[in-house]
Order: sequence, then structure tokens, then C-alpha cells
Amino acid sequence: MSAERDASLPNPTKWLLIGAVGLIISFVGFFVDPRMASFCYLIGLIFTTSITIGMLFLVMIHHIFDAYWSTVIRRQAENFLAALPWMAVLFIPLFLITYLYKQDTLWIWMNPDHELHGHGTVGGDILYQKKTWWLNETFFWIRAVVCFVSWVYFARTFRRNSFNQDKDGSAEHTYSSRKHAAGGLVVVALTWSMAGFDWIMSLEYHWFSTMFGVWFFANSMRAALAVLILVAAFLVAKGPLKGIFNTKHLHDLSTLSFAFTVFWAYISFSQYFLIWNGNIPEETFWYNFREEGMWYSVSMFLIFGHFLFPFLFMLQFPLKTKYPAMVFMACWILFMQLFDLIFNILPSLKIHGQTAQLFHEPLGFLWLGASVLGGIGILLWAYWTSYHKVKIIPIRDPRIGECLGHNH
Amino acid sequence: MADKFGILAKFDTPADIMHAAEKVRDAGFKRWDVITPFPIHGMDGAMGLKRSWVPRFTIVGGTTGFIAGMSMIFFTNAFDYKILIGGKPLFSPFFAFPVSYELTILFSAFASIAGMFILNKLPMHYHPALKIDRVAEASDDKFFLYIESEDPQYDDTKTRSFVEGLHPVEVSDMEA
Repeated sequence: MSAERDASLPNPTKWLLIGAVGLIISFVGFFVDPRMASFCYLIGLIFTTSITIGMLFLVMIHHIFDAYWSTVIRRQAENFLAALPWMAVLFIPLFLITYLYKQDTLWIWMNPDHELHGHGTVGGDILYQKKTWWLNETFFWIRAVVCFVSWVYFARTFRRNSFNQDKDGSAEHTYSSRKHAAGGLVVVALTWSMAGFDWIMSLEYHWFSTMFGVWFFANSMRAALAVLILVAAFLVAKGPLKGIFNTKHLHDLSTLSFAFTVFWAYISFSQYFLIWNGNIPEETFWYNFREEGMWYSVSMFLIFGHFLFPFLFMLQFPLKTKYPAMVFMACWILFMQLFDLIFNILPSLKIHGQTAQLFHEPLGFLWLGASVLGGIGILLWAYWTSYHKVKIIPIRDPRIGECLGHNH
Repeated sequence: MADKFGILAKFDTPADIMHAAEKVRDAGFKRWDVITPFPIHGMDGAMGLKRSWVPRFTIVGGTTGFIAGMSMIFFTNAFDYKILIGGKPLFSPFFAFPVSYELTILFSAFASIAGMFILNKLPMHYHPALKIDRVAEASDDKFFLYIESEDPQYDDTKTRSFVEGLHPVEVSDMEA
């Protein structure tokens, strides 16, 4: 169907160039303004990785429930999985930047001599000493490798099964995917939470929240669903999915997106509520940082912009079935998703002795924009490359007929 | 027959009754219904049914529940009998939230069920179709359609010939 390149669809190379420009600016930033640039790079990397991991979850959920309504859009999620190995490559600069400076560019606990505000160094901090069995450099990098290896393994398995089924139509591929989904959901849930703990939570290693992994999961699902809605709307508008992907499919995607909006709010609220209620200094300081100055506005913006507005918007049935409305909402959710990551990551700069005033520092905008652009460029490059190689829907999936007739 | 309820037509297959329903819809009848052994997908469209009004009941119930939860906790903890616990404020939306949230869900569920009953005119202990023994076949393998005599377009002879034009297996009058 789409084996030969359709000229009206984006050229992958263009996206590779855009990504490369973004990444080069980010790399320049590592030398000009190391801390700010590497924090922004972390935000950009996690933003794009969370989209791909969300896609991985969607594919696994599809297989484990033997779903039929999502068959038509599953191929696009699989195309996004092609970006996962590249996300692993994009993680390498974080390793390099850590050792380029005195190991405390991002994760301060990596440098035992790092001066803590008001009380000694990291090495002498009892809260760090008790956590060294988990928070030590060797184990940290091993965990990152384990994460990426397991994600890439599952991504490749689902892609291979799905593409091979296009060729021979055998149901064996579906069974294989279902078995892998059962194991994969457990493994990816654990590794993705671990990634959240390691990459974001350990930026402020005093702080801990058991909700954090679930928040990370909810966030990545929201981002992935938003991207999937955008891609579906784009492919319907451009023609390839026109008449295949109908408004009922859109409604289902939107409903799932709505469900994860509520889930995100539930998790975020519970995290705040437990910390507020417990009132323990090791936990509350994290939110105290986020209630000072402009971060207070950001917090409020998250409550109303990331929950209340999408909630009331997607509560309405007519809006969930209209492309323009859902395209707007998907863009909005992606934008707020980025804000949520900024909210979670950037205030940690404060314990580096810098005041985290991203919005008062023009260069911060540049680094953030460059890293997000770099990540998105690589993501879409991998997506379109994969898109042009395979069929637009899993044409010989046992459930595809049922899915195309989905209208009630 | 002054107290005639309407005209009943029997069909053999789901496809037949779907087509008949489309014709009745296009003829502009308002007070009519179909009786089938199982839900037929696409029947809503064939009958020209609009989206249900139940969600409106749900949102009213949910909002009421949320406000009830918040004001209940405000009234008990911060107004009627002030209790200071652990140095927390007398009232804060944070600790009132879980209760309000649960009440939102509870009241939404109640309102949805009540709305469903009201819109379906339930409980309905009697329906003229029950007088006709053959309608029991609708719980097995036959499909029925009736047009009420209360319908503004209803006319004894015209409507009967219209219903016969739908190619039913049989047509009969329904007593009120």
C-alpha cells in the first residue's frame, strides 16, 4: 500500500536534518552553559523517550487484551517504536557530560565532594550514605543499559511479529506477541519506573515518592496517545488512512486519552496529598521549591492546564469525535506534558546553587527548544523511515476485518 | 375502536426490521418503537434516535456530589465544630478532596440510574404489547415494530396500508 514513497508525505531526511540541528545546538550548550543545557537536554530526551515508551505500552496493552478496535492504528505505534534504539544513542551524551565535568552536572550524588547548601558534602550526608547501594555510579549506568536493552528487545519483537504477519498471515505471530506482551508489561513497567526514579527523582536524592513511577507511566501514556491522535488525523487528512480510520476509532483514542487525563490527575494529586498530609521535611522540600516565585504559577498552570481544561474539554462527546478539536487537544496535551517535565526536572537546579529561572534566562529557551527539536526530529525521522517501509495497517492481522467495521 | 393503541407488524429477520425502521423514520413518525430479541447494531441510526440525555443527569449529579463533599467537610470541621488536627488548616480542599471525589462518583452513578429510569419511563408495569401473545416470540426469533395511534401523523387506514407496505409477515391492531 505504501511501499513506494508518497510525495505528499514528509521526507524522513528532512526530519533527520532538523533533529541534527537541534542536537548540535544542544551539544554546543554543553560547553557554553553546561548545567542548564544538560538539564534541558534531559527534559528533551525524556520527552521523546516517554512518547516511544507510551507507544510500547499501547502495543502491549493491545496484544494482552486481544483488542480489535486499535488494530487499525497499531501499525503507527509500531513505526514509532523504531525510534527506541536511537533514544538509547541519545542517552550517551548524558554519560559523557557527567564525566566531562566533575560528575555533578546533572546528578549531584555522583560527586561525593559536592557541597550541599548549609550542611557539608554529599559524601558526608547520612541520607546519601544509606542510599549508596542503589545510588552508585556503576549500578546507575548498568540500570540505564538494562532499561534500554529490554525496551529495544520488546520493541523489535513486536515490530518483527507484526511485519512478518503482513507477509505470511500466520496467527503464530499474534500468539507470540501476546506472550511477549504479558512479560513485557511487567518488565517495562518496572524498568520505566526505575528510569523515572533514576533520571528524574534522583536529581534531588533526598526526596522520594513511591507514586513517581506511576506518574511517569501516566505521563508517557498521555503523550503517546496525543501523538497517535495527531498522526492519525494527519494520515486521514493526507489520504493514506482516509476511509480506513473512522471517527469511531478517533472517539476510542480520545476516550483513552481522557481516561489517562483523569489517571494523571489522580496520581499527581495523590502524590501531593500524601506529602502534604505526612509533612515530613525530606518530602515537603520538593514541593516547597515548586511553590516559590514563578514555579507557583507553573504549578497552578499544571493543575488547570494539564488537568481541568483537558478534562472538561474531553468530557464532551461531540468534541471527542471531531478532528480539529482533538488535534488542538493533542497539541495542548503535548505542550503541557513538556511543562510537566520542566516542573519536575528544572527546579532541581536550585540545589546546584543556581536559581532555576528558565523563563528569565534567554539561553534556557534556546537549550530547551534545541533539545526538544533534536529529540522530536530523531523521533519523526525514525517514524517516517519505518512508515515508508511497511504497509499502513497490519493487513493480515486476524482482527483487522473486525476493526475496520468498527462503528458502534 | 376508540381505545386502539396502535398497529403492530411482525418481521422475520433483523435486516427486514432495520429496513422497515428506516422507512418509518423517513416517513416522519414520532411515537413508535421496535421489539427485538437482542440489540441490533445500527438500529439507533435506523430509528433516527439521538444521543441519550443520560449524560446530562450524570454531570448534574457529579457536580452536586463534589459540592456536597466540599461543603460537608467545611461545615463539620471548620464551621459547626472546629477541629484542629496536626496543625493543619481547619479547612483545606486537599483533605476534603478524596471525600468529594468519592461523592462525585456516587452521585453521578445515582443520577445516571435515575436519569435512565426517568427517560425510559420506568418502572412500567403494563404495556399494550403484552396483551398480544405473539409478542412473546420477540424473546425468541421474531422482530416487531409498532406505531402508536397517539402519533400526530397517525391515520387508521393510511398508516395501516403504510405498515403493510413495509412487507411484514403479519399486521395486527393493538388494544390499549
